[in-house]
Amino acid sequence: MVDLGLKTLLFDKVRFLITVSGVAFAVTLVLVQGGLFVGLLDNSTITIEKLGADLWITSKNSPNLDFVHQFPESNLYRARSVKGVARADNLILSFMQVALPTGAEETTIVYAMEDFSRWGVPWEIAKGSLAGLESGAFVAFDESASKRFGPFDVGDYREVNGQRFRIVGKTRGAKSFTTTPLAFMDYHRAQELQPDLLGGKTSYIVVKLEPGADVAAVKAELARRLPYNDVYTAKAWAERSRQYWVVNTGIGFNAFLTVFLGCLVGVVVVAQTLYTSTMEHLREFGTVKAIGGSNLDIYKMLGQQASVAAVIGFALGYVPAQLLKPVVARADLKLIIVPELTATVFAGTVVLCLLSALVSFRKVKNIDPALVFRT
Amino acid sequence: MFTVHAEDVTKTFREGRETVEVLRGASLRLAPGEVVALEGPSGSGKTTFLSILGCLLTATSGHVSIAGETLDGARPAQAQAVRRRHIGFVFQQFNLFPALTAAENVEYALNLKGVTGRTAEEQARALLDRVGMTDRAKFLPRDLSGGQKQRVAIARALVAEPSVILADEPTANLDSSVATQVLELFGELARREQRSLLIVTHDPRVRRVADRVVGIADGRIAA
Repeated sequence: MVDLGLKTLLFDKVRFLITVSGVAFAVTLVLVQGGLFVGLLDNSTITIEKLGADLWITSKNSPNLDFVHQFPESNLYRARSVKGVARADNLILSFMQVALPTGAEETTIVYAMEDFSRWGVPWEIAKGSLAGLESGAFVAFDESASKRFGPFDVGDYREVNGQRFRIVGKTRGAKSFTTTPLAFMDYHRAQELQPDLLGGKTSYIVVKLEPGADVAAVKAELARRLPYNDVYTAKAWAERSRQYWVVNTGIGFNAFLTVFLGCLVGVVVVAQTLYTSTMEHLREFGTVKAIGGSNLDIYKMLGQQASVAAVIGFALGYVPAQLLKPVVARADLKLIIVPELTATVFAGTVVLCLLSALVSFRKVKNIDPALVFRT
Repeated sequence: MFTVHAEDVTKTFREGRETVEVLRGASLRLAPGEVVALEGPSGSGKTTFLSILGCLLTATSGHVSIAGETLDGARPAQAQAVRRRHIGFVFQQFNLFPALTAAENVEYALNLKGVTGRTAEEQARALLDRVGMTDRAKFLPRDLSGGQKQRVAIARALVAEPSVILADEPTANLDSSVATQVLELFGELARREQRSLLIVTHDPRVRRVADRVVGIADGRIAA
């Protein structure tokens, strides 16, 4: 079979390049914006995923991981007494102020536990150690904090909520949605720093279940024994936290808008080039009809051209999006292009390119058959 | 038995609020192997008549049949089927696909008529051979002369052995000697292979190969 559609598409190389460049640009834009958003969402719940708790007991109606209010720490004992619970610990999460050598102050999100090592948090230590964190005024900051706090190192001192702390460790990859740096310190030390807020209180109880325990049953029992708290599975709590950012803030809409604009750019470029190409090839389409072809033959040709432009444009757009990862990482952001995002953008590219070909379908449908005779 | 039979054909178009009558009872019959030249001034209705005989347009009224198949009230799909089976076109501007080689231009027409693969390749080669274009089979249209393009267009028109060939000013873009060669080829094909050939033209040289010359003026055929 002679592939007239493909040969015609590739015949005018400049036009073809313009078409696929437009698609590629839109694909890169959508992948990068989508990937950045996924990266931010990943930051927002990374501690939930890394902590490895099966269940999270939170204050009532907490909207997300970062925005909690406190509840009595003695609830921990009720949680520990439930059958199927292997381990339960209090976890404080609180915003505190760090005084910088410049005299300025910055906010940090403090994670405080009696023993982080039981929970595998923090999951990566870039320098120093968190062992013996409880034995003094010691703190560990994530290395990403240097962006806001300026350079710091293990052995340096910083004031946290007016108290001098020695930096004993630098963690890696512990980030938040808002990019507020994370800090790790002893549970009781954190309570001392904010006695009014945290005295006798905790932010969460994290629960590890015994092997083979019935998650739903333990969760229900915990909810029964702690009626003034909520109990979530780690997955549900992470999802709730992510949804908060997506739905309750403008960030989700902003990402949607950029993705939409990216799609629009792609559609307009493809539709415009296909339409211009159709207009220039009207006589050829008329000839196809005259020599025995039907509208359907021409629609197939246009559809094929749009699909080829979509596939090649996608491939050309995907590569720069991947190459941008290290560049984005240097700005302390994460670009996560998950397979679901890739598949969605690919399918969207093909569908939108085909939709943009519909404009040309209309033109072909109304083609004047006598056009072939005109000079 | 006529391969082309048009009787009292009219065609009107709407142009805004006005109705323009382009054909006003045009009639024409072509026998197998007959070559007819259709002459007329611009705006006389030549192209519209050719489009109706080529099943590209439908007549407003009157009777049209091609190779015994009547087109009166035919739906677009039926008209397309008749066009596919019985009609070959040759255009003034050649209308070759610029992205396809000479052989592919012919092969593509065969594909549209359901002939594919090796059979289509072989038939395309044979058709190009018939018009003396074998050595230019791999050339793109931009690398062919006007006469060579028209020969490829003729080879394409012969795909599926149509009983009627409709040619619109086929010599208009050719120099004198090439035009003569093309017309001789037309005449030979028509007579040897018993195809009806209708040539719309202003070129007086066409008269030399035509069995008949008919004129068209103001939408009416004058024998």
